[in-house]
Amino acid sequence: MNLFSKMVMRKKAQEEMIGFALIIIIVAVILLVFLAVSLNKSNKEVLGVNEVDSFIQSFLSYTTDCEEDLNNYYSIQDLIIECNNYESFCLDERKTCDVLNFTLREIVDESWKISENTPIKGYELLIGAEEIELISFKAGNSTNNYKGSMQEFSSRGMSIIIDFTAYY
Amino acid sequence: MVVGEKSHNKKAQIKIQQTAFMLLAITVFFVLVGLFVLVFKVGSIKETATILEEDNAMLLVSRLANSPEFSCGNAFGTSKVDCIDADKIMALKESSEKYKDFWGISNIEIRKIYPTDELNIECDSFTYPNCNIIQIKSGGLVGYSVSNFVSLCRKESFEGSPYNKCELAKLIVSYESIQ
Repeated sequence: MNLFSKMVMRKKAQEEMIGFALIIIIVAVILLVFLAVSLNKSNKEVLGVNEVDSFIQSFLSYTTDCEEDLNNYYSIQDLIIECNNYESFCLDERKTCDVLNFTLREIVDESWKISENTPIKGYELLIGAEEIELISFKAGNSTNNYKGSMQEFSSRGMSIIIDFTAYY
Repeated sequence: MVVGEKSHNKKAQIKIQQTAFMLLAITVFFVLVGLFVLVFKVGSIKETATILEEDNAMLLVSRLANSPEFSCGNAFGTSKVDCIDADKIMALKESSEKYKDFWGISNIEIRKIYPTDELNIECDSFTYPNCNIIQIKSGGLVGYSVSNFVSLCRKESFEGSPYNKCELAKLIVSYESIQ
């Protein structure tokens, strides 16, 4: 009788221990689920500004040192049109295409500095008018993480496309 | 009979003790879990506030350049996107105190990128336009910074006749991080 009562007590204690363990396991699982959901939420990407869009817009307005006539300087956009349509010259007899190429290279180099200390790994610029390639250059490495933008404007019925991609 | 009663009482006491310990353990356990959740929640509230601030700065930087206080309007020919009137900004800088709480951020500056200048010269009424940093609102740079490309345009004159000059710059907006 005494032995039987001891056995019943042990069994009850075991059941209680199992119950407690079950509660802990259930709570732990709920916590893990909660943690996973929260961590997933924190990985959400914040709304980004497309810097590349603004970059293209801004460099198109840049006033170059190529003079069209006295006190009238070409912007990059004007130079693209001049280079594409007329292959004209500046007042100081430099070719508009050369000035365009030189100035754009400098602008892109200064704006998207590639080094180990910066997140920029490379870039690529392509300016074309229908099937003609006006400007094309790239630097650094192409990666799978990139931001790009393409903008288009027309001149004398010809569509000019500017395509810039920055690799991170 | 008395021995039996004593043993029964002892058993009951042990049972009560066992239940009390169990209740205590469960309470402590749930309190700990609650504390953990609370700490986690407070952390995520701070994180959410920081993300909101970052979003705000990003939206602001993209809209600031096109706001009436900054934009070129039609002053340089046709209306341009992401174009800042440098002359207007210099006038705004003079009365920056009035705009102290207007944008709700700690720092706004425009930094010329091209043409490059090795020296960092801050623009004021004496150095303008031969300078490369326009500090519109100066505050701590201890938070998150967002920048965007803009074209910085101004009116220049050569031998008395004016012309437009646009340069490439970056508009930088910063806010102090939430502690």
